[in-house]
Amino acid sequence: MHKTYAQIQAETGEKQLAALPPLQLTVLRNVMVEPIEPYLRYYAKQIGLRAVARYGGYNTLYQEAVGGAPGLLGETECVLVWVKLENLSWDLARNFNGLMAEEREAELDRVRAQLSEIAAGIRRQTRAAILWFGFELPLQPALGIADGSGEAGQRDIIDGLNRYLRGALRELGNAYAIEMNAILGRVGANAFYDARYWHMGRAPYGREALREMAFEAFKYVRALKGRRRKCLALDCDNVLWGGIVGEDGLSGIKLGKTHPGSAYWEFQQEVLELHRRGVLLALCSKNNEADVWEVFDRHPGMLLRREHIAAARINWEDKAANLRRIASDLNLGIDSLVFADDSEFEIQLVREMIPEVEVIHLPKETAVENRDRLASCGWFDTPGLSAEDSRRGELYAAEAKREQLRTAAGDLASYYASLEMTLEIRFASEFTIPRIAQLTQKTNQFNLTTRRYSDLDIRGFAESENADAISLRLRDRFGDAGIVGAAILIYLGEAARIDTLLLSCRVLGRYVEDALLGECVQLAKLRGCRTLTGEYAPTAKNGQVREFYSARGFRRRDDGEFELDLTGEAPKVPAVFKRIDSEMNPQPDGRRESEGWDERTDSGDLQPHYGNAG
Amino acid sequence: MRERILEIFSRIMETPVESLTADSSTATVEAWDSLKHMNLVLALEEEFGIRLTDEQIMKMVTVGAIVGTVTELAPA
Repeated sequence: MHKTYAQIQAETGEKQLAALPPLQLTVLRNVMVEPIEPYLRYYAKQIGLRAVARYGGYNTLYQEAVGGAPGLLGETECVLVWVKLENLSWDLARNFNGLMAEEREAELDRVRAQLSEIAAGIRRQTRAAILWFGFELPLQPALGIADGSGEAGQRDIIDGLNRYLRGALRELGNAYAIEMNAILGRVGANAFYDARYWHMGRAPYGREALREMAFEAFKYVRALKGRRRKCLALDCDNVLWGGIVGEDGLSGIKLGKTHPGSAYWEFQQEVLELHRRGVLLALCSKNNEADVWEVFDRHPGMLLRREHIAAARINWEDKAANLRRIASDLNLGIDSLVFADDSEFEIQLVREMIPEVEVIHLPKETAVENRDRLASCGWFDTPGLSAEDSRRGELYAAEAKREQLRTAAGDLASYYASLEMTLEIRFASEFTIPRIAQLTQKTNQFNLTTRRYSDLDIRGFAESENADAISLRLRDRFGDAGIVGAAILIYLGEAARIDTLLLSCRVLGRYVEDALLGECVQLAKLRGCRTLTGEYAPTAKNGQVREFYSARGFRRRDDGEFELDLTGEAPKVPAVFKRIDSEMNPQPDGRRESEGWDERTDSGDLQPHYGNAG
Repeated sequence: MRERILEIFSRIMETPVESLTADSSTATVEAWDSLKHMNLVLALEEEFGIRLTDEQIMKMVTVGAIVGTVTELAPA
């Protein structure tokens, strides 16, 4: 199933990776983990990057972290940390029964203090993500079966250290404890540990353990680099149920709580779990559409419902074309999709035709394992879930109602009025920082600069005297869309610069972008600036905002950036909002009606600049 | 089997197969350090479904010794 270690090494040589942009990694450790290198390179290559890993000394972790190691931590984008308990505290790891209670407490104090110092020391040197592999619980605790009988068994003690570590890292921001025991469990202890190399070279972990650790680490890297996937496109026959509905009929397909239908029922349950954490679901099936919906509507074993499905292409055309349509239906890039199918043929076709789409092959012969295949793919992971994530399905349903209203309203002016949109614009706070960071990490299309930031970075802007980070929340009569926009401004004397300006593509075409820019202008003026500069950094996906600034009164300078004279007339914000409630507003009640229509009103042409793409 | 072993060796050590002889050793193959040795052992074990002991690993210091040990352990 997995590629062999030899294959992976052969595929990740310097020459094969030469053309890819680098991903700077730093490895700090108190054991040897170097054989992980080919896996780091392999998983980086999967997302189009060339991993360049620098390793700290085997015995110098503390000095590097606390004393400083600019050569190691200077330019890094991600720090991987392995602190093996055996080399941090032999007594707690292996000489546990030799400790008196007070000695044990003293040792625990020492260990906790060191963990904190190391974590804080790394953070002092870099804002990059820290991924810290936690402590393994002993497979054979020091007290044997008595370990759980007292209050201070070895497992409890080490568990406590893991909790301490998690807390310390959470406080640091952009730092995550990786649960090593989950990796140990997935790999199995025999493959996880390599006693030979532990003795010969202080390299405790086997090949499979290192692969799984690299895989786990890259779930974070992908999310932080904005490469996580957003939509799962599912085949139906032999994926959502056993059998072929067109041949076996509604009552003939296998789906329910008992074998063999239980494999599909459990698979659907896992799909639903993904949906509830924000993954969009689509159907991509060669079938008669009515047959599929009949299963959704009438089969008692169905856990998935029509309302969970954001897009469906059920027809007899080829799946590559259908996947492209699904991506455009959902305003997503094609590389946001993961496609799951039981057919080897379809999987190969999609691999060939659209290599950007990630595929999961779910062979029907081993359908009982399909739930695990999906749960372990890791493509949808994100290090923190926002309120918006867990409500995404609902948000898309509200969008469908808006669409109906748009059709019914006839003219756009009355459509906007009937939406009753209100905006809430706030400075970044503890509550909104994680969401703002997440937006910078995943917004690709309406994003002027596509700079990816961690929560720690956003906090940095929020706390800086020379910068502001703001969030924008949108509500309308159909519900609360949540925080869908953000901007970051940086001030240098009387010059303000828009470092970041972005909007979730869900809310485009409603002039929200104009309101957000209006707030930036307002804010820059409040900070005493005379000019506001914006930039457009082109990517493969953000072509729709190329003219964003030039269409709003910014002058294009020779250096390619856009400048607005703040002493002149401000760009207008169309009067489509019921209310704009802004912290930036100098008016005491914090309310402001949006300004008058520009000339577009009179012409009756209210088409927003961006249409619905985004 | 000898060819497969040499091919894996050559990829991991980034040394052409033609330049290898049974006497090629840690002293003559530039990239062959203890870390590459570990990568090689882990790859060979997976490739041939074998498990080497620490003593066998320590003695595999020439290409000839590697071919000999792996051939002896691996099912034909």
